Amino acid sequence: MSETPSGGTQISVAERVFTFVDERVGLKQLTAKMLNESVPGGSRWAYVFGSILLFIFAMQAVTGVLLMFYYVPTADHAYASTQYIIHDIDYGWFLLSYHFWGSSAMVVCVFAHMSQVFLWGAYKKPRELIWLVGLALFALVMGFGFTGYLLPWDQRAFWATTVGVEILDKVPVLGDFMARFLKGGPTPGQMTLSRFFVIHVMVLPAALIGLAGLHLFLFRCAGPAGPFRGTVMELKAKTDYFFPRQIWKDVVGMAVVFACISGLAFWEPVVLLDEATPDPGDYHPEPEWYFLFLFQHLRLRMFSGEVGQIMASIVLPGLLGLVLVFLPFFDRNPERNIFKRPFALIGWVVLMASILLFTVSAIINRDFLD
Amino acid sequence: MQPKLKSKVRCTDREIGEVTKVIMDPLSQEVSHVVVSMNGSGERQVLMGAVHTITDDLVQLRSSSAEITALPPFKREDYVTLHEVEIPGLERHVHVESGEVLVPLPELERNVKRRTFFANLTYVTGLFIGLPLVYPVLKFLMNPMYASLDNRWLMVGNIAKVKTEDVGTQFQYKRRVKEAYMPESEIEKNVWVVKATPAVLERVYQGKDLEFRDAAGKPIWTNKKDIPYLAFSGKCPHLGCGFKWRNHKVLGPVFLCPCHLSIYDASGKVLDGPAPRSLDMMPIQVSASGEVHIIDMEFKAGTKSQTRIV
Repeated sequence: MSETPSGGTQISVAERVFTFVDERVGLKQLTAKMLNESVPGGSRWAYVFGSILLFIFAMQAVTGVLLMFYYVPTADHAYASTQYIIHDIDYGWFLLSYHFWGSSAMVVCVFAHMSQVFLWGAYKKPRELIWLVGLALFALVMGFGFTGYLLPWDQRAFWATTVGVEILDKVPVLGDFMARFLKGGPTPGQMTLSRFFVIHVMVLPAALIGLAGLHLFLFRCAGPAGPFRGTVMELKAKTDYFFPRQIWKDVVGMAVVFACISGLAFWEPVVLLDEATPDPGDYHPEPEWYFLFLFQHLRLRMFSGEVGQIMASIVLPGLLGLVLVFLPFFDRNPERNIFKRPFALIGWVVLMASILLFTVSAIINRDFLD
Repeated sequence: MQPKLKSKVRCTDREIGEVTKVIMDPLSQEVSHVVVSMNGSGERQVLMGAVHTITDDLVQLRSSSAEITALPPFKREDYVTLHEVEIPGLERHVHVESGEVLVPLPELERNVKRRTFFANLTYVTGLFIGLPLVYPVLKFLMNPMYASLDNRWLMVGNIAKVKTEDVGTQFQYKRRVKEAYMPESEIEKNVWVVKATPAVLERVYQGKDLEFRDAAGKPIWTNKKDIPYLAFSGKCPHLGCGFKWRNHKVLGPVFLCPCHLSIYDASGKVLDGPAPRSLDMMPIQVSASGEVHIIDMEFKAGTKSQTRIV
């Protein structure tokens, strides 16, 4: 025993640092506020999706920044630098594939998160603003998927962008301008790659960080909605705080998602097609699986001709978007129990069933094309 | 009215102490209990139901002092303060201090007139900075959007490759492009050439030559109605994918786009699928030695009318 404690209590360095910061920003109170958020009806596995989305985004940011160490966003080097990442850089294949599968995981979890909010009636008063910001975040996630898809500059990338931008072109009056603005010219080329790159790595992340912050702020203002069943006294009896029970569930959820994405990256790593060029060769253009239902419904004969195109590519998705935007304002019934909201339940089932149907039929159609 | 901190607490028989704490119900956001200091002998937690009247400095209870003293002592560890917990809107419902908590207004802020004027001035300044930037920024971003059209003839191959009449044959060619600051490079493109029988030619031209004009309206080339060679742009007029020549189970040999399943016959007419117009014809010349030359053109997809963009 060479040391003897002087004066009863000894303060560790970590405690000193904590105290130093606490004096300046009120860390203790801030931490308490963050963790002691009451969850009406208690923590649940069903509530993990929001946290999981934040986790996936953080991982996309980390892997994305790492990929930028080698990736070059020019038409003559994008493909080569992506191949270099995959074949020559240690673990490059893994980081790229993680980033790729991470985007799919993001879309899946966004769907789960939105479906849940919808079915639980959690978009209703006083949570309308959280829902609206959530919809904007959904649009950003889709924008990430669309812009990121072009960056490897292979045939898949080139054709997904070609068709995607043509769809944007169908917007009445402004379509041509918007499509050219996005492409930076009449056809996809270097300007398109530059634009998609800067949108993917600067514009969308900045917007997403801002809006996700706002989403969380608004969520904290209104508080969690809790279950749609149970009396006030039952909910009160089961209420707990965000920490530790909910955080524990969230962390387990994150670990599961991480394992899934890693597994997919490991067993199904990204393989590029030939370098992008306006001649598709034998390649049959197709978007990423989460856009397949949109792709497939454009094939329907009822959407043929110019008017049909505008209906299918602009009016129908636009109407669906508007319905979602105005949902909390025309659905003013405070009832949250999904089994007492037949229209909501039927609407959700029909939408999900048609997305599934169109996705599956797009996959089946592949066999008839070769 | 909510009980105020430091108010005296009186039972039916006598005064027993003062309010030291109040407890809020997180769901109803009302005061549920008051905590009473028993004149130095511990604290008791009293339900609001036991309160008879509340004034600014007095809480009158319905119970006797003996009943209150018999309550179990207050357990502080079962509670957190308002500042350590997040319950939406709770803080706005707490009015337990009597009077107001004030901060002095700085000397310079007293009697300031024209506050609205100064607020508006900040908006105007913002506009002065922002508005002049709108046009330059827009022009900056729009710079490459509208490229001029290129009407050079390109050699794409030899017509000897076309063996059978009314069958689509793909010619792949390379086109040199120079985009902005990028080094000149080659992109691969394709065009479909059909050697048409008179019947197909009639369907295509309907007795009229096809004239191509440049952006200014000056004629650049005319496809004669009796020349049997047709050139179709490789870009599907539906949404811009690349189509193929395939054997269809019902319709026989056709142009088929794998993207959204538009089907065209050898004359380029839509047989099935969502396409809004026929395949796009391009200027074509076949020299005596069989060299096929075209002017590379691309048209906006998805519209009924043809708009050239390349």
